[in-house]
Amino acid sequence: MDIDNRPTKRRKFFFAENPEDDGGDVTLPNVESSRPQSATSSAEKDTLSETEHNDLQPANDPISKDKFDVDTFCAFVGEQVDRDVVQKIQDASNGNIERAVNMYFDGSWKANMPARNIQNQASGITSWMSRPSTSVKHSPSKSEDKPTVPVTLKHMASERYIGSFGVEAWSTKSGTNLIRPGEVVNIERTRLAPKTKLGRGGKPVTVVNRYQKADVITRFTNSRGEEVGRLPEETARWVSPLLDQKICRLQGTCVYAEERLRVNDTVFLQIQAFMLKSAFESSNFVKPSDDNRETGFFLEKESTEEKDLRLRQVALVKLFDEINLLPTTTNSKTAKHKKQGLLRAAEMAEQYDKEKSNKPKLSDTSASPEEEEDGEELEDDQLDMLYQKAQQFDFNMPEAQPASTFALELRKYQKQALHWMLNKEQDETSKKSTSMHPLWEEYTWPTKDANDAPLPTIEDQDKFYVNLYSGEISLDFPVQEQNCLGGILADEMGLGKTIEMFSLIHTNKSEEAMAATAKNVTSVNRLPRLPQSSNSVVPAPCTTLVVAPMSLLAQWDSEAMKSSLPGSMKTLVYYGSEKGTNLQTLCSVSNAASAPNVIITSYGVVLSEFNQIAAAGGDQGSHGGLFSVDFFRIILDEAHTIKNRQAKTSKACYELKAKHRWVLTGTPIVNRLEDLFSLVRFLKVEPWSNFSFWKTFITVPFEAKDFIRALNVVQTVLEPLVLRRTKDMKTPEGEALVPLPPREIKIEEVELSKTEREVYDLIFTRAKRAFNESIAAGTLLKSYTTIFAQILRLRQSCCHPVLTRNKDVVADEEEAAAAAAASDVNGLADDVDLQDLIERFTNDAKAAEKEAKDPINTFTTHALKQIQTESSGECPMCSEEPMINPVVTTCWHTSCRNCLEAYIKHETDKGEKPRCPVCRETINPRDIFEVVKYGGSSDNNTPVPENNDDEDAEETTEMYSSSPVHPPPNAQTPVPRISLRRLHPYSPTSSTSAKIAALLRHLTSLPITTKSVVFSQFTSFLDLIAPQLTRHNISHLRLDGTMNQKMRTQVLRSFTSEDTTSSSPRVLLLSLRAGGVGLNLTAASRCYMMDPWWSFAVEAQAIDRVHRMGQTERVEVVRFIVKESIEGRMLSVQERKMAVAGTLGVGHGSGGGGSIEDLQTLLG
Amino acid sequence: MALPKRIIKETERLMSEPVPGISAVPHEDNLRYFDVTIDGPASSPYEGGKFRAELFLPDDYPMTPPKIRFLTKIYHPNIDKLGRICLDVLKSNWSPALQIRTILLSIQALLGAPNPDDPLANDVAQRWKENEPAAIQTAREWTKTHAMA
Repeated sequence: MDIDNRPTKRRKFFFAENPEDDGGDVTLPNVESSRPQSATSSAEKDTLSETEHNDLQPANDPISKDKFDVDTFCAFVGEQVDRDVVQKIQDASNGNIERAVNMYFDGSWKANMPARNIQNQASGITSWMSRPSTSVKHSPSKSEDKPTVPVTLKHMASERYIGSFGVEAWSTKSGTNLIRPGEVVNIERTRLAPKTKLGRGGKPVTVVNRYQKADVITRFTNSRGEEVGRLPEETARWVSPLLDQKICRLQGTCVYAEERLRVNDTVFLQIQAFMLKSAFESSNFVKPSDDNRETGFFLEKESTEEKDLRLRQVALVKLFDEINLLPTTTNSKTAKHKKQGLLRAAEMAEQYDKEKSNKPKLSDTSASPEEEEDGEELEDDQLDMLYQKAQQFDFNMPEAQPASTFALELRKYQKQALHWMLNKEQDETSKKSTSMHPLWEEYTWPTKDANDAPLPTIEDQDKFYVNLYSGEISLDFPVQEQNCLGGILADEMGLGKTIEMFSLIHTNKSEEAMAATAKNVTSVNRLPRLPQSSNSVVPAPCTTLVVAPMSLLAQWDSEAMKSSLPGSMKTLVYYGSEKGTNLQTLCSVSNAASAPNVIITSYGVVLSEFNQIAAAGGDQGSHGGLFSVDFFRIILDEAHTIKNRQAKTSKACYELKAKHRWVLTGTPIVNRLEDLFSLVRFLKVEPWSNFSFWKTFITVPFEAKDFIRALNVVQTVLEPLVLRRTKDMKTPEGEALVPLPPREIKIEEVELSKTEREVYDLIFTRAKRAFNESIAAGTLLKSYTTIFAQILRLRQSCCHPVLTRNKDVVADEEEAAAAAAASDVNGLADDVDLQDLIERFTNDAKAAEKEAKDPINTFTTHALKQIQTESSGECPMCSEEPMINPVVTTCWHTSCRNCLEAYIKHETDKGEKPRCPVCRETINPRDIFEVVKYGGSSDNNTPVPENNDDEDAEETTEMYSSSPVHPPPNAQTPVPRISLRRLHPYSPTSSTSAKIAALLRHLTSLPITTKSVVFSQFTSFLDLIAPQLTRHNISHLRLDGTMNQKMRTQVLRSFTSEDTTSSSPRVLLLSLRAGGVGLNLTAASRCYMMDPWWSFAVEAQAIDRVHRMGQTERVEVVRFIVKESIEGRMLSVQERKMAVAGTLGVGHGSGGGGSIEDLQTLLG
Repeated sequence: MALPKRIIKETERLMSEPVPGISAVPHEDNLRYFDVTIDGPASSPYEGGKFRAELFLPDDYPMTPPKIRFLTKIYHPNIDKLGRICLDVLKSNWSPALQIRTILLSIQALLGAPNPDDPLANDVAQRWKENEPAAIQTAREWTKTHAMA
């Protein structure tokens, strides 16, 4: 408390209460200054008693009022008191001698006493003289109970005195002699079950609701156990967690209370705080150096845990502040940061909670994987700035040579990465020194109590330690442990993170592993260095655990083999049936020689084992799974999977044990700073893995818009942890880090057929109307999902009209939900117009199928030969030779496509029936066929696609693979390698659409050895594409999210196989989501993006599956965009996003259609 | 407007592989404008005559047929006083696959086979129908007078 404040406060009080004493106001400072310095300097209330004993001057009080007799006062206290001390006490006690006596003894007269006016009105009426003097004598009795000789105990008693403070409580009862000064009061908490709606202590529940927060009410009872009153809310707020969490016991002494108490009267209490032994013993934080927020296996505990920690943290800070306990030693790091900041952080957290209180609470949803993420999103330029530092890659960084067992040749930057990683893993020097953990502070137990009586001391325990960032307390010296023997390898995709990791696995092995390989079994008995608290967790010193998304397991496995000399690498894909293996026995030290070097598993497995263990009560050892061993190293691939620290998978990963921890990710921060926290948490980087600390230094400043500070801190966190190189990095010599063949992205505009257009237009009109209506009604945000669903339909109808209708087909992950919602709202399900249109569309298609057979079947092999010859001749109309995009009529006459179309248009515009320019045969514009020449036609080995058209004529629709039509069964002559395809399909029939036709056009013109990847975000669209490919004898494969690991592996293997016969698949259908991550598809050199995504970054990531290290050919990408449709507008949205994202290709991952402006662009 | 490839090619071919009895030479200042001469077909009233004509290729040629007109006076039921020609391939039966060469050959054939049932010059057609020998005689005379100078 501040001495300088006191006179002013007192003056104020005088003024209010005794205006006639104004004169005294002037003289007071003089009086005060004449006071012996000892009284003021020893301002601590705990030391007041010294003054009390030393100052034996006779009381001479000229200004005492008739009410306040100094002699009486002195008689009460049993000693002569300094005059101005008396004066002060008199002032403070408002002339009430009884209170004065109490105040004198407990020192509370020095405390600031706000709200004095109220208390004054209540007091001062009852004469102190009427009170029996005996009662007063109770007050000092406490000190008599205390042992006068310091006692030294061997062990900590159940509690230990830590300090005392004064508080103005208020009564909740009225009555006489409820509580008397000096009476010992108990401070109690009665916590009701949180959801109980019952009143409490006779009070209606509204009292609690007024503050809209958890129950903090702290009551005190008199010595008879009757409730007297409560602590004021501001005190109760921090006292309650201390009591609830069994950290402190509080014992109060009544300093002053009215004899006849009325409700709401002020009761002055002096409260002594005792730290409970249990506070130090609680298993939650007994090991401060260990994971300070042990998540444990009990998820239901999780929800409140963080909050408890925060409450405890605030409470401890407040407590130490109140009792004025200062740390004996602090770390320089924390010293810089004031307690105020800490409190502010905590308060902000509280506010934050309040703001979110109307949202579903985390605790309610803790079981669901998709949990609310907190933290604001990062702007892109902020991300840029963050990475700037991490990306300052030193090209002169030393290199390291991988071990001889590593079979691949590393590039220079990869060797540099190896060197960096080796350094990080071997950085064990700091571990030896025992410096204090940076977040902890050392405190000395007080040796004297409030009354200056010596307290019992305990051997070797004159200090205790507090982590004010987490609220942990400990009796043991918190050693700073260098836990993070790993880091974040954030090289951009395609730079070979996997290979770099394997070089590390080969190069840095544990001593046990080295010994095992050297067949020196005796040294195996050495104990592993990491002491583990868990009873039955067995070290696995030879094993590296790789956790990767399921689709990448096979890739890791094969990369492991590729990168290792034969026999130097044993891998185990721990997935599915392999999970039966007992890892404890397999990987134990005794089995070092045959233990797998690498265990590869998926996030799903980690999570499911985590859940199993949780269900089994946290017994990690007996399970024999991933959690039962302490690995040498853990690598999390695509580690942004765990970016949400609340997600179960993240929590499961934190629990994995290992000496070295690595995370691989191309995007350490996806869009929030908290994303990085989760990685840091996994890596156990002290002190940042403490969320409270993180919050204090990063989240809070960031949310307070103190971006520079927050980002600076993040940079300092990142810098030593992260190695990041990007593909566009250039060596000082200007060479690219990884030379990649060029990549060309083309946008191909696709024109919808008439019927498709009708469907599209109808949906568009509706969407627009809904949009405009909701704008007009101001309910745009409410109907957001509806409009969004409409947009989804529009996008689907661009791909294929059937997509918008067929519920079975539309089952497109989360979007199905949105679509369903939309159909409910708009009654689209019963939509006659749309239904009509689509029926017309399908009917048209059926008709087309029937008709299509006739003209097409007139083509004989002879005709085809003629067509082939002619089509390479001169166009009869433009005289181009050879023709440009030759087309053929049913009368077998060829010309350039454009010429013929122009002529047909010319004629129909005149109202004439178009006729063949050559023979004047009337021609049906739909019966014009494109002549498709197969690439690589010189290759006679290439078998003709199976001839199924004879029998399956019905199968033939608008596209007609005519080359194999009626070939002589044992034809010796090479069959003309052309095929015909209807230029303008009758309609995009039920099985094909304008886009599919465009895709087929591309695919069929490719050389058969060229492999392509077709991406679509609608797996149902892939369902429609696949049969068309089959029909055109394009062998293809498919990979999507529904496939299990074995199937995926198989698909990838057969797609990448070198076998280039026509039966080998040359097209891979990939869902944008499933294929966006991790896969290596360098076998292909063509990408077809069937539909645009909201952000090009996602598409780019998909393209990068093909255009990545290992790609030797030029990559061509075609993005199909429907002309004059929402897709074109989506491109402008994309462009805007790209502009915002700047040059850095990181940061913006998925994210939906986004803002209202985006909607405006799309529908406006 | 640049001359389409087709016109260039046709012109080149007319020069390099001329059709017997027909010539078409483009004007230097307008390559779409041709001076045409057609020899009267043998054993026809026009035999021995050299009939001059002008031919113009419109902008949308070959979508639309060339415009052609006789400059030499000719007595023919399908050719009027102004030299305009009534020929289906120049009108409804035009096809972009037809060329200058083929059109001129058609006209030459028309001279050899007048068609008074689809007349352009009604008086000529009338006479041709009523008194064919007289009409042929008049045609011969006209040829001598106008086309053999």
